[in-house]
Amino acid sequence: MDTAFKGEHLLPGQLGQFFVILAFGSALLSAISYYFAATNTNKLDKSWQWLGRLAFFINSISVVSIAACLFYIIFNHLFEYHYAWAHSSRTLPVYYIISCFWEGQEGSFWLFAFWQAVLGNIVLWRAKSWENPVMSVIALAQTLIASMLLGVEVFGSRIGSSPFILLRQAIEGPIFSRPDYLTFIKDGNGLNPLLQNYWMVIHPPTLFLGFASMVVPFAYAIAGLWQRRYKEWVQPALSYSLFACMILGTGVIMGSFWAYESLNFGGFWAWDPVENASMLPWITMIGAVHVLIVYRNTGHSYFTATFLVLISFILVLYASFLSRSGILGETSVHSFTDAGLKWHLVIDVLIFLFLSIALVAMRWKELPITKKDEETYSREFWMFVGAIFLALACFHLVLVTSIPVWNWIFGTKMAPPTEPVKHYNVIQSSFAVVITLLMGFTQFLKYKTTDATRFFITTLVYLVFSALIGGLVVYVTGVYKLHYIFSFVMIGSIYTVMANAKVLADVFKGKIKLAGSAIAHIGFGLILVGAVIAAGTSSVVSQNNSGIGYGDEFAKTSNPKENIMLYKNQPVQMGGYTVTYFGDSIVAPNHYFKVDYKKINASGKVTEEFVLKPNSQANNKMGLVSSPDTKHYLFHDLYTHVTMAPIKGDLDGEDGGHSETDDDKNYDAPVEHTVGVGDTIRFREGFMVLKSLNKETHVENIPLKGTDVAVGAAFEVTSHEKTYKAEPIFMIKDGNAFDFAKKVDDAGLKLRFSKIIPEQNKVQVQVFQQPESKKPYIVMKAINFPYINFFWSGTIIMVIGFLMSIFRRNKELKISTANAELKEGKQAKLQKA
Amino acid sequence: MKKSSIIGIIVIAVAIAVIISTYSSSSTYGSFNDASKTTSSLQVVGHLVKDKQLYYDAHKDANYFSFYMTDNKGQECKVVFTGTKPQDFERSEQIVLTGQMQGSEFHASKILMKCPSKYTQDKVEITETKAKTANI
Repeated sequence: MDTAFKGEHLLPGQLGQFFVILAFGSALLSAISYYFAATNTNKLDKSWQWLGRLAFFINSISVVSIAACLFYIIFNHLFEYHYAWAHSSRTLPVYYIISCFWEGQEGSFWLFAFWQAVLGNIVLWRAKSWENPVMSVIALAQTLIASMLLGVEVFGSRIGSSPFILLRQAIEGPIFSRPDYLTFIKDGNGLNPLLQNYWMVIHPPTLFLGFASMVVPFAYAIAGLWQRRYKEWVQPALSYSLFACMILGTGVIMGSFWAYESLNFGGFWAWDPVENASMLPWITMIGAVHVLIVYRNTGHSYFTATFLVLISFILVLYASFLSRSGILGETSVHSFTDAGLKWHLVIDVLIFLFLSIALVAMRWKELPITKKDEETYSREFWMFVGAIFLALACFHLVLVTSIPVWNWIFGTKMAPPTEPVKHYNVIQSSFAVVITLLMGFTQFLKYKTTDATRFFITTLVYLVFSALIGGLVVYVTGVYKLHYIFSFVMIGSIYTVMANAKVLADVFKGKIKLAGSAIAHIGFGLILVGAVIAAGTSSVVSQNNSGIGYGDEFAKTSNPKENIMLYKNQPVQMGGYTVTYFGDSIVAPNHYFKVDYKKINASGKVTEEFVLKPNSQANNKMGLVSSPDTKHYLFHDLYTHVTMAPIKGDLDGEDGGHSETDDDKNYDAPVEHTVGVGDTIRFREGFMVLKSLNKETHVENIPLKGTDVAVGAAFEVTSHEKTYKAEPIFMIKDGNAFDFAKKVDDAGLKLRFSKIIPEQNKVQVQVFQQPESKKPYIVMKAINFPYINFFWSGTIIMVIGFLMSIFRRNKELKISTANAELKEGKQAKLQKA
Repeated sequence: MKKSSIIGIIVIAVAIAVIISTYSSSSTYGSFNDASKTTSSLQVVGHLVKDKQLYYDAHKDANYFSFYMTDNKGQECKVVFTGTKPQDFERSEQIVLTGQMQGSEFHASKILMKCPSKYTQDKVEITETKAKTANI
């Protein structure tokens, strides 16, 4: 069809598509050039290496240019592009445009490519003798990511999914045959309101940096096998592995914090398949870091180290397959739907899997696998055991998370566990017990060999102390009421913290090198302590038995009633608090509900009072989207979110255009009262007193002339211990009677001043009351999370530990390379001589 | 025996234990008919019956939501969920329920719904288009 479409801006898209193809082509060229550079036997011939570098630079520039084109399209609201139309809108604030980038699959692939390009440049600059083989692997990974963005038809099937596809190409519709179709597309779909949050601006980049950085140790491991440099790859790979663990760990916990602070999951970890997928490579890489250190220090565990490093990156690719192929549709609440990339993603995983298996198989006989057993009382042996258990824990996560994949492969119809959270909690905690105990007593062991009796004495002393403290914590927090395994996790975690605190104490005596690992271990221990208490003993504060019965069948269910109904300004008792929903504030598009919490002691005194403002958005596209609000205490959090609220009206703007009679329908039939000044009128939820009749009242925009009269009846309304003022007005203008009703929304009242009875010096007032069903209300849920701050602070401590370790390993790397250069220099001198 | 072989045995043992425990706690997607035969909780996949009433009235009980669903075998059943009505429920394409039968009603403890429209809504809104064409 050669319709000339009006108003389209095709240049930024064509430019973007050009850069997409250039990014793919240059990455491929870089991979090939580096491959030849690595296999080239002539050491002086640098031409392949230079070509590889040049191609990688071009790739980096293309990747940045893709972003520039996409940003231009979104920023200028060019809705002829599907990406802009699907993920942004005119009302979207500029600072969230960046979040649009990763709402769609294409944008998140771009993010992956961007970080891989950044890391590639760092490696290129630092790797020295490793540059050629390592960069050829990174460039290969980059080629595959770039291919996901291609969106080019080859042999009738589309390869990749381009962010620069036009709306009319992406969607079928009769309106696209009109040359002026763009005039009908006024606005985009907008960004999912849940993603309009500052955490959503920083969480995905952190997570993807973590994923992307797994490629560097992977590339080193492959290069080590390929170049037969089985020993040397470990030292440079170690810093990158630690970096990957640190960033991915931060990214995962950031996601958890985002979920806790602004989603209504009701918690910080839900074992959702997508969450699990992001944790898989982290677990294996943590194991890898430990055995890499073992191998570097003792020469043991070479194969385990290589295996764990290789599998970590393959799991990154597998995680991306899980969350992007749409395969988790039935089990996960937040996976992407399939963008036609399922097989492409499978191929991506398989390429790197086969590359790893093939290389290990080819070099199998030469691998430096030690025949000698490790000493039982040596640190390396138990670090190795720990890594194996981490791998097993990961194996379990893979096994359960992949149930839809097994169904897909084997055609079975298995469903995930009916109580997934309980299943994961119990099994993963069993692994955690073993791992935390290992993290504890391994600290008392030395490399090579340790004096057994001394070791047993210190280990036991610490274990007994941990059991005592742990037992106390378990008793006080109520963890003992749960499955027994959680009590063991608690004791194990405290053991980890104590044993590593001892190591940290030694640091001050001069063993400064060990500080990083000790701090990271303490952080991890605290994370577990926080997670067990917060998740295990969290309690729904808003549990209640209100509501009329729905028959015996409903009463029989054990499902607790966790949502509580709050009518505006009607205080309700809830778990020790007196809660009142007392107001709203609307900052478009958010509707904040002000909820007052009061603690009242026996003598009726208010001991504590605060206001939480959970909010909801009545979103055209997604219905009611709620975000919680949390009161943070040092030792617990009170978390509140709104599950239902009648705020559909927000969408149509304030209910304009309703006539008076329409409005009366919102109230019960009025009750007429004849009152004089000082009289009281009672109504269902309070009373009102007629304070005075004001003759000097005037109504805005209505000038009064000669015989016209306007009288205001000033009422003081008291409802639920609050007073309001209202002054309905009665007016005679040009011989006709009018009246201006006044509403007291918070008390659900409307007052009409309908008549003056001069002979009795009284007035007639109609009182309209809102029936319950028309009164503003919210349905909300409140949860208490004890000791959750251990979880967050543990994370921060762990990250600090990782950082210190990275600095330490980098220093070692510098020393070892300097030594190597010194040696080479000496040899060269000798040769000359 | 060498230590590596002991570790090998432990690894295999734990792996088998994990597989068995996963397999035993994994459930199957059943039908309402299956649910009426068992007292344990299971998962049912199906579709919302859109022409029957979705009942939720926060004024009467904020934790009672009922609707009708047909399972994949075509059987229709009333479903009761203890909680508020999930947002956008009317638009759901597929529902996965976890729960058990109580008499003639299915009592769900968890509802997972699949709305492909949730994240990318590939439907151009035509309402606006119509109004405009009328003006021309």
